[in-house]
Order: sequence, then structure tokens, then C-alpha cells
Amino acid sequence: MSLHKVEPAEASDDFAIQTFNLTKIFNRLVAVDGIELNIKKGELFALLGPNGAGKTTAINMLCCLLKPTGGTATVMGYDINRQPFKIKELIGVSPQETVISERLNCWENLSLIGKIHGVNARELKIRSQQLLETIGLTGRAKDQVRKFSGGMKRRLNVMMALIHNPEVLFLDEPTLGLDPQARRAIWEYIVRLKGEKTILLTTHYMDEADFLADRIGIMDEGKIVTLGTSTELKTSMLEKHTMIIYAWNLTQKVINEMRSRYAEVEVTNGTMIITDKQLDFKEIVDRLHSSGAVIRSAYIKEPTLDDVFLHITGKELRE
Amino acid sequence: MRFLELASRNLKETYRDPLALGFLLGFPLLFMLLFGAIFSGDSIPNYSIGVIDGDGTPLSHSFIDEVLTEVPTLEVANYDDTATARKDLKFGDLRAYIVIPQGFGEQVSQNWEGKETNITLDITYDESDIMTSEQIISIINTVTRSFARIEIPVTINANPIHIETEITFIDFMGPGIIVFGLLILIPTSARIMVSDKEKGFLSRLLTTPARPLDFISGYSLCLVVIAIIQIVIFIAASWGFGMDIVGSLWLAFLIFLLTGLCSIGIGMVVASLSKNENQAEPLCWLFAMPLAMLSGCWFSIEMLPSYLRIIAYAFPYAHTIESARAVLIRGVGLEAISSDFLFLIGWAVVIFAIGIILFRRSMRS
Repeated sequence: MSLHKVEPAEASDDFAIQTFNLTKIFNRLVAVDGIELNIKKGELFALLGPNGAGKTTAINMLCCLLKPTGGTATVMGYDINRQPFKIKELIGVSPQETVISERLNCWENLSLIGKIHGVNARELKIRSQQLLETIGLTGRAKDQVRKFSGGMKRRLNVMMALIHNPEVLFLDEPTLGLDPQARRAIWEYIVRLKGEKTILLTTHYMDEADFLADRIGIMDEGKIVTLGTSTELKTSMLEKHTMIIYAWNLTQKVINEMRSRYAEVEVTNGTMIITDKQLDFKEIVDRLHSSGAVIRSAYIKEPTLDDVFLHITGKELRE
Repeated sequence: MRFLELASRNLKETYRDPLALGFLLGFPLLFMLLFGAIFSGDSIPNYSIGVIDGDGTPLSHSFIDEVLTEVPTLEVANYDDTATARKDLKFGDLRAYIVIPQGFGEQVSQNWEGKETNITLDITYDESDIMTSEQIISIINTVTRSFARIEIPVTINANPIHIETEITFIDFMGPGIIVFGLLILIPTSARIMVSDKEKGFLSRLLTTPARPLDFISGYSLCLVVIAIIQIVIFIAASWGFGMDIVGSLWLAFLIFLLTGLCSIGIGMVVASLSKNENQAEPLCWLFAMPLAMLSGCWFSIEMLPSYLRIIAYAFPYAHTIESARAVLIRGVGLEAISSDFLFLIGWAVVIFAIGIILFRRSMRS
């Protein structure tokens, strides 16, 4: 039974997905640890985190594959515990593993899911054509998919979640193992869906979350450790700035001078890295210049989501 | 209809897989061919005859044990009553049976004492099998005369009965090998269901509005179609190999179909209990192979010790082989096999119910 029962009245109309202390425990392993999420209709939300963070478990509960151990969630206002079949009619799911029927061709795979959702034959044909064009498989539409490359299968895998034009889309690592070109194609398609559909995407690629998501929730060990837009997350890192200068003729005198002014100064082989809460780019460049150093390049390093992740969890995002 | 979509997908997955198809159809056909080749060669005739000792005297005993049993071309089996012997004659297990009437010992001892007395024996045989019957009658005549030390021919009350067809090897083996084919449905059913579970296809479909019963009917329908195709091909092949079909083909078909349903049910149970194909396959063979042997696919179940026969009759397959033989070879109707038929229906219903409960439960986890 859910620990936190939510009456539909509590669920707001503005939100497509809401979780309330959503928890999943396998044996003694806490896979999802009481997450609270409010995803607005039309929003593209990315759950970013390393493998094993609990992203897939969270998605599996939201698409009614797994019963939560505690808490609950609503999808388009329906409770995952009590109205799973209402939810299943509204969602499209692209699982993390490539799950397609190997001896069926593209058409047949797409139409299987479409027909289960009750899409009529005419619409099915039009939509299949569109989707196959998007992923560049029109020419291979009638080949059994077992003959396809991993990337082709992967693209079909994502499109099978879209054939019935669902309102909410769950994309579990949609570009896992794809080459950059194929990733781009999928990204572009996802971007086209932005605003139109609510999308919950999991990924362990920062650039993917950065490029696609309206908001990002960083997940680690079953918890959402931080949440915000990509810019918000990065600016939260701006309590410390790092400046990197490549220069010739760095004298000990100027190095000492910098060390007296800034918190951290590292010098190796003509590279100076200065880190502090406040950095004045122009002043540093001027001082170095007047000391006789020849500056080849200098820049303030922008924080990446990787830095954010490292900062928050103390771990690298990629294992 | 969602389950129709699922069933059609399952069928496509199967018929586009030449290996699976070859296994389902080719394996039993290969057996048929092998058995046909092994047993169709010329060999010394060896007639099985049954003996019912109605006299029960020491003389009749010694006639059976010391005379009849010693004849090289005869294989003698003792029976207590004519009904059982008659049944085996109809099945083709016996070529003929002899009833030693009361007074046989008396007649023989009178002959030994020099009083010529006529000796009477009753022989029942299949009239359509004239060659064999005549040979057997003449053998019996000769050995009885030498035993009684008389010159005059023994009076043999010949009692020919009509058995519709000559029972050949393939007549006997056909139903067994068809049932073997249906036993192979167990691993096939389990594999189809488990592989979807293992590869996540079931999970993917569980995020759609399809209901558990859609899946179960989708798989079952696909497998029933496979079973029907199997049965049709196997019956046709047995016929091609020379099996005479005397009785109702529809009744035989129905018996086989019920058996197919039992196999699908067992497959469903195994699929629910196993996590992946590697677990399911050996588990299925563990069922199918001993059952094939116990149920009489390859030899008569009468050869089994009684406790093994009890096990065999607890499963549907021995019932299938017996009732299918009765229908196909002897031409009996539904009333003659009604108990086997009801047993098959009951088994199919129960195993399907268990399969559905377990499979639903395994889908939820």
C-alpha cells in the first residue's frame, strides 16, 4: 500500500507527472529513495545520473511496470497504483534495452504497438511513414529488423514509443550506444516534439541533458540531489571561478604576486590555473603582461554539468 | 482485438524462424522415417498368440508351458479372460488367441491311453489376415497332435473375427509419433513465452493498454495454430508412410488437439516458473522425453511395470495414444473412448487454468 495516498484532487492540472515520496526498495536495496518531482505539461525533463542511480526504476514505476514500495505518483492526473490502464493509454515508452520483434519488419513492429493502442489503419500508415522517414529507415521498412545494425534498431526502438502519438513520452537512455550522427537525428526529432508532449528522459550523457532538457534533475543513489535548468545548475557552481592562462616567461615574481592575491594558483609548464571566488580577468591579464609574460591564451572556464555532478556527489558522472 | 495482433506477431516470429519450424515439424518426421526404415525390413515371422487356459489341469499347463512356448515362431502370452485377449487382437498386439476348453486334459489322457478321442481347441483370429491365420492354425494343429500322440486332425473351432485392417507397424507407431510431435510443443511454447519475458518484449508491451489476458490468448492462439498445422502434417505423413485410417479422422484430430492444448498448458507453466530460455528448455525436456517414453510413443505401454504405468496414465499422452489408435486403427467411436476423451478435456482445462494463473503472476513481478 502506498505510504502517501494522493487523491486526484491534489494533483494539479498543470502537471503531467507528479511524484509523492516515490520509493522502490528491492530486497534491502533502496533503488528510488522518496523522490518528489513535478513535471509540467509540455516540459522536457531529464533525469541525469550514473548507471545504477535509480533512473530506470523511477521510469518503470511511472509507466506502471513496477509497483512502488512506498509513495505514489500521478501521470496526467491518474494514480499509478490505482489507474494504471488509464495511464498506459496515454504514454509511450522507449525502453533502455532495444526491445523490438526481431523477425518482424519495421512496419510490423510499429503497427503492432499502434494497433494495440487502437490506432486506425490509415493513420497508422501515415504515422509509420513519417517516423520511418525521420529515422532514415524508409528504404528498409520491409526488411526483418534482425538484419539491422544496432543503431538502426535503436532508432526504431524510440519510434515505437511514438507511433500512437502519446501525450507523455518516457525515453530511457534514448541514444545509448548510438554514433554521433544517429544521436543528432534522434535529438532533432525530440526537439521537434518539445512543447507538444511531456517528455521524461533519462540519460547519463551530460551533453544530451544540456542540449535537450528544459529542466534537469540530477539523480544519485536513488535521490534527486539537485534540480533546475541547465543554466541554473551551472551558475550554482559559480561560487568558484577558474581561469586558465597559457603564457611564456612566467617569472617567479609574478607567480608569487598571484599567489598572494588569489586562493589557489597552480603553475605547470607555462600553464597557470587560478581559482577563487572572484576573478578579474582584465586585471590578471594586465598584471601578467606588465611582468613581461607573453600570453598565448587566457580564458575563464565555464562549469559543465559534469562539474556540477562532481561538485554535488563527489563522483565523476561517467564511470 | 489486441490478442489477435499479438497472436499474429507470435506466429510471424515462429514461421520466420526456420530452425524453430524445422524442430517442430522435422524432428518427429525424422523419427517416423527412421522407425519406418528400421522395422520395415524382412524378418522371420514371429506370431504373438494369446492362450486362455479354460481347462486348468496339469496337462493343459504342460501343453502351454512345454509345447506351445517352445515353438520358435510363436510368442505365447497367457490371458485370464477372452475379453483382454480380444482387445489385444484388435490392437494388433496378438495375431490370434487360443482357448483351451474344459476337458482338454481328459481328452489328451484318453488318447494317451489308446482311446482315440477328438481334441478340441478354439482359435480366434483376424479373418482378414488369412496367411498368418492359416500358418498359426497349422502350427497349432501339428504341435497338438504330436503332444496328444494322435494321427487324426485336431478339431479346431475356428472363430474368425473381422478386424477392419491389417495392423502394420506404421498403424501402431503413427499415433505415437504424432504424440511425440505434440510433446515437442512443450519446449516450443515455453520458449516463445520465456524469450519475450527475457528480452523485455513483454515489459515493453506491458506499458501498452494490452491486458494480461490479451497476452495469454495471443500466445495460446498462435500455439494452437501451430499445433493444428503439426497435427495435419503428421497425420498426412503417417498416412503417406502407409498408416490405414479406419475411424473418424475428425475424432482423432480432436483427440490430438486436446493433447496439444495440454502441451501448451505445460509450456505455459514452465515459462511462468523460469526466468530465461536456458532454464525453460532443459526443464521442458525433462518433462517431454520421459513422457514420450512412458506414454508409449515408441513401444507399447504394456511393457512397463505397473507403477510406471500409473505415472504414465496420470498424464494425457498415454490416453491420447490409446484412444487415437482405437479410433484410427479400429474405427471405434466416441462412446468407446469417452473416458480417455473426458480425461483429456479435464487435463487441458486444469493445466490451462494453472498456466494462466502462474503466467499472470509472473507478469506482475
